[in-house]
Amino acid sequence: MRNPEKNPAPASFAQEPNKTVGDIYVANPRIECRGVNVFYGQKHAIMDASLDVGRNEVVALIGPSGCGKSTFLRCLNRMNDTIAGCRVSGEIKLDGQDIYAGGVDVVPLRAQVGMVFQKPNPFPKSIFENVAYGPRIHGLAASKAELEEIVESSLRRAGLWDEVKDYLHHPGTGLSGGQQQRLCIARTIAVSPEVILMDEPCSALDPIATAKIEQLIDDLREHYTIAIVTHSMQQAARVSQRTAYFHLGRVIEVGDTAQIFTNPRHQLTEDYITGRFG
Amino acid sequence: MNKPQEALSPSSQGVRTHAIVKAGLARRRSAEIRFRAYGLVCIVLGLAFLLMLFGNIISHAATAFQQTYVALDVTYDESVLDPEGKHDAEALAAADYPALLKRSLQALFPDVAGRQEKRALYGLLSSGAAFEAQKRLQANPGLLGKTERLWLPADDDVDMMVKGQIDRNSDEGDRRLKDYQIAWLDKLKADGRLEKHFNTRFFTSGDSREPELAGIWGALMGSLLTLLVVGALSLPMGIATAVYLEEFAPQNRWTDIIEVNINNLAAVPSIVFGLLGLAVFINFFGLPRSSPLVGGLVLTLMTLPVIIIAGRSALKSVPPSIREAALGVGASQMQTVFHHVLPLAMPGMLTGAIIGMARALGESAPLLMIGMVAFIVDIPGGLSDPASVLPVQIYLWADSSERGFVERTSAAILVLLAFLIVMNGLAVYLRKRYERRW
Repeated sequence: MRNPEKNPAPASFAQEPNKTVGDIYVANPRIECRGVNVFYGQKHAIMDASLDVGRNEVVALIGPSGCGKSTFLRCLNRMNDTIAGCRVSGEIKLDGQDIYAGGVDVVPLRAQVGMVFQKPNPFPKSIFENVAYGPRIHGLAASKAELEEIVESSLRRAGLWDEVKDYLHHPGTGLSGGQQQRLCIARTIAVSPEVILMDEPCSALDPIATAKIEQLIDDLREHYTIAIVTHSMQQAARVSQRTAYFHLGRVIEVGDTAQIFTNPRHQLTEDYITGRFG
Repeated sequence: MNKPQEALSPSSQGVRTHAIVKAGLARRRSAEIRFRAYGLVCIVLGLAFLLMLFGNIISHAATAFQQTYVALDVTYDESVLDPEGKHDAEALAAADYPALLKRSLQALFPDVAGRQEKRALYGLLSSGAAFEAQKRLQANPGLLGKTERLWLPADDDVDMMVKGQIDRNSDEGDRRLKDYQIAWLDKLKADGRLEKHFNTRFFTSGDSREPELAGIWGALMGSLLTLLVVGALSLPMGIATAVYLEEFAPQNRWTDIIEVNINNLAAVPSIVFGLLGLAVFINFFGLPRSSPLVGGLVLTLMTLPVIIIAGRSALKSVPPSIREAALGVGASQMQTVFHHVLPLAMPGMLTGAIIGMARALGESAPLLMIGMVAFIVDIPGGLSDPASVLPVQIYLWADSSERGFVERTSAAILVLLAFLIVMNGLAVYLRKRYERRW
């Protein structure tokens, strides 16, 4: 932590909130967002947000409650389309393609950009059916054997296989909270996405389950790009490579996780991470 | 209230609050006890009325399940039935079976002479008794020329006498049975030829002018066929409409108007649907009057709003997290609804549908409008045959003047109630069995 007495704020310490500071852009990004605005009816929820998410990295979105992190995350796979009265403007590109262009089909988009929600929500079906549903509707498996293989590899990657391999036909809702969340992660990776969005995945879980999932995120980084919204700064520090700080609908600062938490460049960021509000 | 605020220390303020609470406690407790007592009284009253209703119906209906039969030794005399020796089934069908029965009765009471007295004797049997003999012979042609003892249904006046509905001590002019008829009946009883058997005819035959020959099977078939039409039409349409309105329709002015209209239709008096059926289905489309098809169409119109409303509420109760999970994996709107939302909402939808259909089963006003008030004797075989339904049959019998129909009306009410209880019980069972907790 920067000590204000020994290490006074540099003269260029940003104060005004309207301009994002830090390393917003990366080379060869997976997702690019430029000037994103989101309205819920009259309420202007996200103002002029710009952010890049790089390949195979974990980006954490942090900020106080109600600052728009989840809203921004949901824009990335067009889940906000399901909310009546929600309008999104600006440019969001996945691998160079604007996902809000006319004629873009959200169904394959959501297979490419998967989502894990705050409260684990497995389907009220068997564990096997939960994971197999995605590949089945997208036609990813040519035969039953292939489907079983996809299910097994997804459960292995999610770190759940050993615990459930004998209970594949038991209902998914019968698992513990942590196991259910890992099941949801397995379900998401079963459709081979490129990006996984996680909206506070551990907030409903106990510390041991949380630790398991954080370890899982680190393992998943090898194959997927991950954007995670988190309420816990410590979790963001443990899990991510880059962090973006949101405040009242704006992206205030983006940068390397280590730098954000030790040497923030914006006054608001510093106030948040030192706990002056939040 | 402007009491000066005393500077109380926190502990003494707590003590004072506690004293105030304690003082009001007795009043609150007694209010609670009174409220529970009111509730108990209401339940007891409701149950008492229910018991009274059932007791009344059952006590009236109990005797309807028994019918008086007379045992006669019937000789299938060839000289009467087949005088020309043709052995033709058609000729046998047209033969004079009442003559056989009259002969048996004459054999039992040889002293009876005079046309009026003889008519009184033959009147002890039901007018349908001869048909029983005919059926026996048709089933066993080998009986031709032989004698057997047949139990034949007695006339409804005899039936009422045996069941104690006719007072034998009243003035002869006030009774339907004369003294000498009663004397004959006593003799038959002494010979063991007059007995009450289970009234299977009630469950197997259609309506009739004679109470002893009347049954509800015709009305029951009519009700079943009508319900079949209602189920086949209203279930798919109702469920599809509910799914569309809830999941796919845009939220705009038109859908709001549709929702208001559907809610209103659920409360429209049923006879209005009957008028609509009369004007549109019978007059405009020319469908057969009094058929289960038209009855079913009219009742479908009545049941649809109920099913749609129940269906929408079942769909609304599926938590949005399931939908989000499905959408998040890349399911389309259609796949989300049909693979996830609809199966979870189905128990609620079915319960609503069964309750709607149970209501349709008990409706008589709209069916009266489309002509189901006619006297139908035959059992309806198809959707376009003229038919009656249970509630209408009950109404017709209740209107009838014969004494024998009084008990049969109550018995028919029991059958209708049994049907309704079974349907509602099915709805409750389905709801309990498939209730999910996510």
